[in-house]
Amino acid sequence: MSKLNVPRRTLLLGSAAIVLAPAAAFATTSPDIGKPAPAFTAVDSNGKTWSLADLKGKVVVLETTNHDCPYVRKHYNANNMQDQQREAAAKGVVWLTVASSATGEQGHVTAQQANDLTKSRNAAPAAVLLDPQSKVARAYGATVTPHMYIIDAKGTLVYKGGIDSIPSSSAADIPKATQYVRVALGQVLAGQPVADASTRAYGCTLKYPKTSS
Amino acid sequence: MARFLALLLVLLASPAFAQSASAQAVVQTENVRSELVSEVAAVKAGEPFWVGLRQTIKPKWHTYWKNPGESGLPTEIAWKLPEGAKADPIVWPAPMRFDIGGIINYGFKDESVLLVRITPPANLSGPLTLAAEANWLVCEDVCIPEEGKFELVLPSGATATPASPETRALFEQARRALPTQSPWPARYGVSKAGDPTLLVEAKGLKADAISDIYFFPAEWGPVATMAKQNATVTAEGIRIPLKKGDAKAAMPAELAGTLVLTEKTADGRVKQAFDLSAKLDPAFVPTGASASLANAVGAEQISLVQALLFALLGGLILNLMPCVFPVLAMKAAAFARLAGHEQSAMRRDGIAYTAGVLISFAAMAGVVIAIRSAAGEVSWGFQFQSPVFSLLIAYLFFVVGLNLSGVFEVGGRLAGVGQGLVSRGGTTGAFFTGVLAVIVATPCTAPFMAAALGFALSQPAPATVAVLLAMGLGLALPYLALSMTPALQRLMPRPGPWMDRLRQFLAFPMYASAVWMIWVLTQQTGADGVLYALGGMILIAFAIWLLRIGTGASTGTWLRRGLAAAAVLLAFAATLKLDDSPATAASASGGAQAGVSFDGWERFSRARMAEAVAEGKPVFVDFTAAWCITCLVNERVALEVPAVRKAFEQAGVVKLKGDWTNRDAEITGVLKELGRAGVPLYLFWAPGADRPKILPQVLTESLILSELSSIQQAKR
Repeated sequence: MSKLNVPRRTLLLGSAAIVLAPAAAFATTSPDIGKPAPAFTAVDSNGKTWSLADLKGKVVVLETTNHDCPYVRKHYNANNMQDQQREAAAKGVVWLTVASSATGEQGHVTAQQANDLTKSRNAAPAAVLLDPQSKVARAYGATVTPHMYIIDAKGTLVYKGGIDSIPSSSAADIPKATQYVRVALGQVLAGQPVADASTRAYGCTLKYPKTSS
Repeated sequence: MARFLALLLVLLASPAFAQSASAQAVVQTENVRSELVSEVAAVKAGEPFWVGLRQTIKPKWHTYWKNPGESGLPTEIAWKLPEGAKADPIVWPAPMRFDIGGIINYGFKDESVLLVRITPPANLSGPLTLAAEANWLVCEDVCIPEEGKFELVLPSGATATPASPETRALFEQARRALPTQSPWPARYGVSKAGDPTLLVEAKGLKADAISDIYFFPAEWGPVATMAKQNATVTAEGIRIPLKKGDAKAAMPAELAGTLVLTEKTADGRVKQAFDLSAKLDPAFVPTGASASLANAVGAEQISLVQALLFALLGGLILNLMPCVFPVLAMKAAAFARLAGHEQSAMRRDGIAYTAGVLISFAAMAGVVIAIRSAAGEVSWGFQFQSPVFSLLIAYLFFVVGLNLSGVFEVGGRLAGVGQGLVSRGGTTGAFFTGVLAVIVATPCTAPFMAAALGFALSQPAPATVAVLLAMGLGLALPYLALSMTPALQRLMPRPGPWMDRLRQFLAFPMYASAVWMIWVLTQQTGADGVLYALGGMILIAFAIWLLRIGTGASTGTWLRRGLAAAAVLLAFAATLKLDDSPATAASASGGAQAGVSFDGWERFSRARMAEAVAEGKPVFVDFTAAWCITCLVNERVALEVPAVRKAFEQAGVVKLKGDWTNRDAEITGVLKELGRAGVPLYLFWAPGADRPKILPQVLTESLILSELSSIQQAKR
């Protein structure tokens, strides 16, 4: 309780400083594996609100996307992403594609565009979350598209990293690569710890809003 | 003609011509022009040689290093070589850092040459065909993967033939862009939190000559590439605190990477790159120490708007700081004189004072910008680090004091001396009071000002000017408001004989300020300073007396005027004497008696601070200067009171004092790292803390005691 001794002037200055403290700059740390996954709430392309808190009891996959990014295209053109989305859905996993490109940046989509893309690419996520201020991406420290995260039924972050093990833009590499997300999901659903819980994500730089911060 | 044909034949036969004649392997993609070049025109079987993939990148776009950073992909070359030939891995040039919306990438812009050593088959006969498929990612905001197929056919012979001089020059240039092997051993330790700290044992580097230090880890994983690196140069070498990366694996036995730094040499700034591999040293458990200064609790990173607001607030509070008191005294006197005058006179006076303050701040901004562009560094209160300045200010205070005492009135005859202008009634006087207020205010840092100033001094010119002007507005605001508001003026007492008495009384704070400046001077130059300053004051007083004893145009008057001028000149000549006095040199090099009192304190150095922090001791650092009144007041009322002294002792606090009375590059460096431009600055390291806490600029006894009791409680 020694704080009570602090003179009023200092308290005054202190509180002013807190009020004026700048907004946190870009989060330089991504959340830790084994810790509660950062909470988020976002609206999907059909106007439905999704909140991580409401998904307790279900395994959740997050996939950051930017449909014009060559690495995203690599996995969609080869149907790798769609296949994994369907497999996940079949096992009761909630797969959320997150369109985190900021307004005006490459990969930014309106609700209509997002739905059109899902249709044209024959994709099967549980939902496409619209994240035009990159809030979800920021909370998870996402740096690229696609950047993948798995959250277990208890809300713990159990995987973060790339979709697979060969960082290239060539679809020919997909069959040769270890599909990290598929392997990790299998382990999570089998109640096993994830062996490769943090891998290098590769892809295009995530298009965060251009601010001076 | 025959000769020409012969020449042509010779040329055709020469291998150099053969190579330039065969189409060089050039691939033009949307954003990059790539060319496969060889350092030899003809190869010799089994003898290794170098080729390079030269990439000319579209302006503003970049390609990637072997560790691309948080996103991106390194350029890859897949070789198709004849049986028995071998291509080594790419030898990478030193990378650059790119910040894309906060995401850090490592790579190259404009042009890069990726070198590869090729060994032809030992049994090579006939030409060697080098085929390669390269792919690279090139990004601006958006990223485009590109690729190219290259083929280079090189004739073989009994000896290797060098390529054209231009090509060889290109290779020379490419080699200069490569990192060299680090001449210093390096090791790294991991903190309890798991964050590695790299220590490059480059002893004896000059801290102020090295800047822009950055460690590019060779691989993704052990080190977070996105985290800021706040490297410091200490006696033990270069210390770079890093953040652990995302790889789950244990920290590697060797942490490899490229260290890039800029060294200030006689020939200008030189960028250097070193490849190094640091061994994991289990005995080295970094506790942050000097390394994480920039993570200090309370170190503000502020925006321009905040800086402007802080500057305004700081300027306002400056009115309450001890160093402006003497000027406030003058202002109060002037105001009292004006009391009862017409509204318009008051307003004019207020505006003139504000203009004086603002123009002085603008002039100071100009000086700051000029010094910065010339010397690269500038600090708040820097002028007080000059003994000449201290002496001149002492004279100024003295003369203003004499004027307030009524020793002389100004009839324009003493024009040219600042005081004359100050005490002149009306708007000119008010204007120069504003100027004087700014001159004496500079050694003070008020709360809020520190952050704003730190910001202002590190920003481009327009922001510097804006912040300093905001500060000036803050300083002038109370008086301006008073002069503009009749309601407030009605609260002023009626004019009367008390006004003269008040004015005479106010001379005494002025004399006190002059005494203080002389004391500052002695800290800077030693005891001789007193002799020059007091002697100078006698001369000035003598000059004033001479001028007062007669008027008119008689010969005697002119003689007296001449004598007075000579006396003043002599007083000012003392400044010349000061600058090259041996005492100056002695104190500048850190003579033990120079500067502020070190009784019970150790002299600050980064190395000592790092050492004490590493030992897990609580450390208190006081950055102070003899010319900083706020510092001295803090010492008197908070740091040196018996209760605090005892509490320091009981808690086993290591007390370090940094004396910034004279120029000191190490302290200036620390201040800069913490975003500060001046003193006072107080740092407190709790035992085992990995970062210091910055305490407020205005200290109180209870504040220090509560800091100390919090570590006592933590101990239990």
